[in-house]
Amino acid sequence: MKTLKLALLGGALSMSAMGASAETFRWASNTDPQTMDPHAVNSAPVLSFLNNVYEGLVRRGQNMSIEPSLATSWAPLEGENGWRFTLREGVTFQDGAAFTSEDVMFSYQRASNEAADVRSWFAPVSDVRVVDDFTIDFVTTAPNPLFPDSIANFMILDKGWAEANDALLPARDAENFATMNVNGTGPFTLASRDPGVRTTLSPNANWWDEASHNVSEAVFTPIGNSATGLAALLSGEVDFIQPIPLQDIAQVEGRDGFKVLEGEETRVIMFGFGHEHEALLYSSNVQDANPFADPRVRLAAAHALDLASIDRVLFRGKIEAASQLVPAGISGFSEANQDRPSFDPERAKALLAEAGYSDGFSFGLKCPNDRYINDEALCRAAASMFAAVGLNAELSTGPVRDYWPQLRADDFDMYLLGWSPGTFDMEHPIRFLLHSQDNDKKLGSWNFGGYSNARVDELLPQIQQEIDPSARQTLVDEVVAITQEDVAYIPLYTQPLIWAAKDNVELTQRADNFFMLRWVTVN
Amino acid sequence: MVYFILKRMIQSVFVMLTVAFLAFSLFRFVGDPITQMTGVETSVEDQERLREELGLNDPFVYQFTRFTGDMLKGDFGFSYRTRQPVAEMIASRIPATLELGVVALIISLLVGIPAGVYTALKPRGVLTQTILMTTLVGVSIPTFVIGIMLIFIFGVQLGWLPTFGRGGTVQIGGWESSLFSFDGWRALLLPAITLGVYQLTLTMRLVRAEMMEVMRSDYIRFAMARGVPTASLHYRHALANTMVPVITIIGLQFGGVIAFSIVTESVFQWPGMGLLFLESIRFVDIPVMGVYLVVIAFFFVLVNLVVDLLYVAIDPRLRIRDVS
Repeated sequence: MKTLKLALLGGALSMSAMGASAETFRWASNTDPQTMDPHAVNSAPVLSFLNNVYEGLVRRGQNMSIEPSLATSWAPLEGENGWRFTLREGVTFQDGAAFTSEDVMFSYQRASNEAADVRSWFAPVSDVRVVDDFTIDFVTTAPNPLFPDSIANFMILDKGWAEANDALLPARDAENFATMNVNGTGPFTLASRDPGVRTTLSPNANWWDEASHNVSEAVFTPIGNSATGLAALLSGEVDFIQPIPLQDIAQVEGRDGFKVLEGEETRVIMFGFGHEHEALLYSSNVQDANPFADPRVRLAAAHALDLASIDRVLFRGKIEAASQLVPAGISGFSEANQDRPSFDPERAKALLAEAGYSDGFSFGLKCPNDRYINDEALCRAAASMFAAVGLNAELSTGPVRDYWPQLRADDFDMYLLGWSPGTFDMEHPIRFLLHSQDNDKKLGSWNFGGYSNARVDELLPQIQQEIDPSARQTLVDEVVAITQEDVAYIPLYTQPLIWAAKDNVELTQRADNFFMLRWVTVN
Repeated sequence: MVYFILKRMIQSVFVMLTVAFLAFSLFRFVGDPITQMTGVETSVEDQERLREELGLNDPFVYQFTRFTGDMLKGDFGFSYRTRQPVAEMIASRIPATLELGVVALIISLLVGIPAGVYTALKPRGVLTQTILMTTLVGVSIPTFVIGIMLIFIFGVQLGWLPTFGRGGTVQIGGWESSLFSFDGWRALLLPAITLGVYQLTLTMRLVRAEMMEVMRSDYIRFAMARGVPTASLHYRHALANTMVPVITIIGLQFGGVIAFSIVTESVFQWPGMGLLFLESIRFVDIPVMGVYLVVIAFFFVLVNLVVDLLYVAIDPRLRIRDVS
C-alpha cells in the first residue's frame, strides 16, 4: 500500500519519470566517507560520495568520458598556455545562491591551499583569471592537454555560503561547517549525517540537469564486515552493496531476486623491485649484491608467474592479464606493446643462470593483506611459483596502514602494488611510478624501488605537453617499450570490480569504482 | 569508607595513566596515520608538513605528556580522520555500547541463573546434560561465528530480525536509546544474545557449582531435616548464599563485556565505541584510539569499585575488618 501511494505521488510529481515510481534506495559500502568537505581528502570513498552532491566544471560519463557539467564548453587559451571554461548559466546551489565564476575562483583558491589534500591537481596551474560572470581562465605553466580531464573531481563550493559559515578552508585541525554540511549544485543534497552510522541524501529538485533516476531518498550505511554486508543485502535491508568478496558471488547468484555486477576496475596489480638497492635485505645466501638490479633476473621473475592458474584458482576467472601499468581502454594504452612475458619456467631458469644465479637465491617479498582483492593469497601463490625456478621469496604480509611506511623506508626486496590512474591516462602512472624519484618536482612519489631511466624522465614532460594525440601516443609507446624492456615492474592483471544488488535495481558500474546515484532506477 | 573510595579513585588515575602510556607506546607500531589521511597524489612534501603540524615528529615522551596534559585539562583532541572532537565522537557511541552490554548481561542472568539452579538440583537429568552440552558448544564457538550464524538464521533465512545497525532509536536528552521502541529491541536482540552467550555459560556454571556446594553444606541438611519446604529451601536459603560470589564475578566480568563488545559490534555493524575503535585502528586515528582505551580503563576501574562496594555491603565480615 505504501509503495502504491509513493508510486502515485511520484507519478504526479514528475511526468518525466516515465511512470517509474519514486523509491527509497538503501546502499552500503565498506568505508564511510570521512568528511563532507570536497577539498579535504583525496580519497575514493569521499570523492565518490560527494560527486552525488557537488559538481565540477566537467564530469565523467558512464563510460568514463569527460562531458560538460558546470562548464558548458572549454578551449585552449590563445597566446598562452591554459584553458578557458565557459560556465553554465542559470545554475543555483542547493541553498538558492546563483553559481558564477566567482565560486569557481573561490573553490580553486580553497582547493589549491596548503590545507587541501587535493592541491596536487593544481600543480600545473600558474594563474586563474575571472573574465566575466560565466567565463574563467586557468593558465598553466606549460601546454596541458589533459588539464580538463584532471579536474573532473574538482568540486565547486558556493563562495557566499563558505564565507557565511566560516568554512573558507578545509578543516585542518578541528572540524568546520563544511565537514558536516553541504551546499553543492549536484543532483542530491544531504538530508542527515551521522558519521560512520548513516547518511541520507534527498534529490535536489532544482538540479539543472534532467534527473534520470527515480530515487526519492537515498540511505547510505557503511558496513565494514563483508559477511554482515552480504547478510544485509540478502535479507533485503539494503538494495545494493559495493564491493562484495569474490567468494560470495555464488551465494548471491544462487538466490532469486539478486544479481552480481561485474566489471573491470582500472587498477593494475604489479610487482615492484628495489632497483636502486645496493644489496638484498632479506636474503640468506646473497648478502652483498642485489640480483634484481639485473633486468634478466627481473624478467626471470616475470616468466616464473603462471597468471592463468592464478586467475583460475584465486580469482574464479575474473581478472584480465595486464601488459603495462594501465588496462586497455585507458587513454595512452600502448597497443604496440600488448604482450606480457609468458609463463615459461625453463626460460626463467635460463635467464637466472645467465645472470649468474643458476642456484637461485632468497629474497624478501612484501605484500599488504587488506588492500587489494586476495592480495595475500596472490603473494603466496606467486612465492611458490617463484620458488619453482629458484627464487625463494620470504613472504611477509601486513595491513596497509603499516605497509606504505615500510615501502617508503625502502624495507623490501620485492613488493606488491596496485595502481589506478587518477586521471585515466597513462601519463599518471608514468608520473608517479616510472619517473625517477624527485621530491622537489613532486615526481616519482610512488616509485618506491627507485626505478630510473633518463629517457623516461625526458619523455614525461613531452607527453604532458603534447597536444597532437598521435604524436603523444608515439611518446607513450616509447616509454612503455622501454619500461617493458627494463622490466621496471611486472604488471599482473586488472582487478575485478564486483558489486551486488537486488534484481529490481538498475545502476551503472563505472570503472573508477565510483557509484553515482543519478544513474539508479528502482523498478 | 570515604577513605576507601578516595584511595580507589587515586589508584584509578594511575591505572588510566598506565593504560595511556602503554597504548601510546604501541601506537607507533599500528602504522602511519599520514599515509591513511592523505590521497595517493599528495606530495611527499605535503605529507611531511602534515606530519609536522600534527606533532608526529616530536619525541615519544613529548607526545605522551601533551596527550595526557590535554586530557587532564578536559581537551580530548580531534580525530585525524573525521576532524570531529574525540570527546563528542566517543560520547555519542557510549549509549549503544552500554545498552548492548547491559541487555547482554540481563539476558545472561535471566537465563543463566535458573539454568544453573536447575542443573544443580537435577545433576543427572537428561535436560541438564543437554543444557551443559549446548552451552559448552556455545562457549567454544568464537563470538563472530555465533553472530554470523544468528544473522543468517534469523535475519536472512527467516527474515524475523534485522541483520545490522540499531534500528529505531529514541533520543532522550543526549542519550540515543534502543530500549523504547519495538524496532530498537528487534535490532538489539541478536547482538545482545551473541555478546551474552559467554557470560550466560559462565553464570550458569558458577551458579551450578556454588549451588551444589551449598546444597551439601550442614545448614541445608539441617533445614532439610527440619522440614523446611523445598521451594523455600532452594530459593531462599541455598540460592541467596550462592549469589554472593556469583555477583562478584559477574560484576567484574561486566567490564570485560563492555571492552570486548568490539567483535559483536563489528559483526552487527552496531554503532558503539568498539566499532569506532576498530575503524580508528584501520585509519591509525591515534587521538580516538588513545581516548577509547583510557575510557575503557576508566570503566574497568569504575566497575571494580562498584563491585568492591557491593561486596562490602553484602558481606558483613568485610565491614568489621574495615572498622578495625
